[in-house]
Amino acid sequence: MTRVKLISAWFGGLLLIAAAVGILESGAADVFLEATRPDFQKISLGVAEIENAGGPNWLAGRIEEILKNDVRRSLVFDLVDLPGLGIQTSGIRNGKGAGSKAVFKQAAEKGVSVLVWGTVGMKEAGEQADVSMEGFVYDSGSDEVVGGKRYAGSPSVVRQMAHRFADELVFRYTGEPGIARTKIAYVAQQGTARELFVMDYDGYDTRQLTADGFLDLMPQWSPDRRFLIFTAYRNRNTQDIDMIELATGKRWTVISFGGLNITPTLSPDGNFLAFASSYEGNSEIYRLDTRTKAIQRLTVNPSGDLSPSWSPNGRELVFVSDRGGGPQLFLMSSDGSNVRRLTFEGDYNAAPVWSPRGNWIAYVCRTHREYKLCIISPDGQKRTQLTTGPGVDDSPSWSPDGRHLAFSSTADGKSQIYMIDADGKGKERLTFQGTHNSAPSWSPAW
Amino acid sequence: MVEMANLGKGERHMNRTLWTCGSVLAMSIVLIGMPGCSKKSVQSGGDSQSTQGAAKGGTDSSKSGVGNFPDTGVQSGGGGLRGLDKNPSEERLGSGTTQGKMDSSSSAGRQMEEIRAEQAASAAAGLRDVFFSYDSWVISEEGRQSLSHDAEWMKSNPNALIKVEGHCDERGTVAYNFVLGEKRAKAARNYLVELGVAANRLSVVSYGKERPSCNEHAESCYQQNRRGRILIKSGK
Repeated sequence: MTRVKLISAWFGGLLLIAAAVGILESGAADVFLEATRPDFQKISLGVAEIENAGGPNWLAGRIEEILKNDVRRSLVFDLVDLPGLGIQTSGIRNGKGAGSKAVFKQAAEKGVSVLVWGTVGMKEAGEQADVSMEGFVYDSGSDEVVGGKRYAGSPSVVRQMAHRFADELVFRYTGEPGIARTKIAYVAQQGTARELFVMDYDGYDTRQLTADGFLDLMPQWSPDRRFLIFTAYRNRNTQDIDMIELATGKRWTVISFGGLNITPTLSPDGNFLAFASSYEGNSEIYRLDTRTKAIQRLTVNPSGDLSPSWSPNGRELVFVSDRGGGPQLFLMSSDGSNVRRLTFEGDYNAAPVWSPRGNWIAYVCRTHREYKLCIISPDGQKRTQLTTGPGVDDSPSWSPDGRHLAFSSTADGKSQIYMIDADGKGKERLTFQGTHNSAPSWSPAW
Repeated sequence: MVEMANLGKGERHMNRTLWTCGSVLAMSIVLIGMPGCSKKSVQSGGDSQSTQGAAKGGTDSSKSGVGNFPDTGVQSGGGGLRGLDKNPSEERLGSGTTQGKMDSSSSAGRQMEEIRAEQAASAAAGLRDVFFSYDSWVISEEGRQSLSHDAEWMKSNPNALIKVEGHCDERGTVAYNFVLGEKRAKAARNYLVELGVAANRLSVVSYGKERPSCNEHAESCYQQNRRGRILIKSGK
């Protein structure tokens, strides 16, 4: 297991390879690989009560709600309804003694693999309140309390406590870091301007990053999660590509070529920037070496080329070109060689994003004049439409575990941000404020 | 959250070597395991990607307009998770939402006002916009008449600089609409050049679907937004 953990840490996106290597070296990698398969059997998990250990009434319920939602969205666990199964959990308390033994026995008999419970309290500490939370985990397979976590912090980090505990659960059972602490960057309308914002992956704890009063658009995360790279208008006549550091708010321009400067995206190792610019005439894709600043033009034709997205190993790019008329997806090697068309169905396919595991490319497909989400395998053999109904769906962005997509949609009227499972189920709306929220970009894993 | 300090050069090199090893592994499906890779010495700074294959457009290392890039490679894994513990010690969580001040030093905030001033001046001069069909950047007969009218004004006002803004309706993707908006703006500009307006008086900018003049989900509204806006340019 240690070996597998190390390998996955080194390779980040190359999870499949890590799992493949691991499977030859360690039987423990089975779990790791299984979790990536569509027929993966979810682990049944019940969240018993979070006990109020002194504090406002809402606190324990809040933690329990966040934790349950995180567990459900992990898609690793099957969240079971303990009271519904007739399991009374009030005897658990500290996980020791006869009361808890009885609860564990009940859970095991009903096929619940994992039981989670905890306590949370808040006390005044000088001027600032202090929250402390404990969470514990019982595993019916090994019939023992396998461990727990204790967190403390200000009331502003209550959500983070629950998210962090949820990620520990995912980590425990899959070796992956989980997505409960990930964030989504996006664009929101502010008066006549469009500015960059970041929120937690579940739509909470929104914070504004830019206040230009004009247009900041299409943010993408750096692989190390410290920066966003995006398209900005320096003034009403000039479009640039800028970067902003999240921790400091420091911002600067990285590409100012004139013409269109759109769809920037850093390679998984951070060493290259791929983007589209029309400074030489029409929109073409360029690759910039971020250390030497040598720039290489990857596409050469009189049509529009844009929206590059890196394969997880950085060796290939999927992109959009309208060289055949309407926009279609194409693949090429990261040096611009070996170009081949990927999509043939429909007359409008755009905004491709390569999944973190490499096995799918999500994109916007037009069917019956509606713009919906589709996924296609990189060999073009498998294709599925994920969303249906009216409205424009746009800007798909993969969660780092490859199990979800964030996207924008006008299905409910104004453009808002949603998430959906990679199999098209579990659609969930994330933004409710404002008149326009768009261009979500899901952060790498925390 | 825990931020890792910047790694030293040697460690970064090691990461790169490992990365290369990963790619080799991916290619060769012969999964012999890691030891083969770890024997490899640290590679030189040159990277295989930019030296292999035909660089179609060539490289240009002297291009101006490129700013500085920080090192953004992934430097740590595991995400700071410490695992479950039978006797857990307390982890104190810092506020994940602390941030530096928002950058509002940009002059971009004045742009909306200046755009309104440009629009007012252009309306006063009687300049006409050109409208497009769904998905199209072809100038219609009506559009040609509008542009002919505009060209006459431009010829009798030879000192005026003209800007063509390309706009799109809300359908289609954010990204592709920038390309579509630029095609519309350039189609209008090219027709004005055909009519005898000096090309060096004409500039284009695409706004894609990011500055709609109308926000309803209706064809009458979409029609308004599929526009080549002809403006008298003021300032830079």
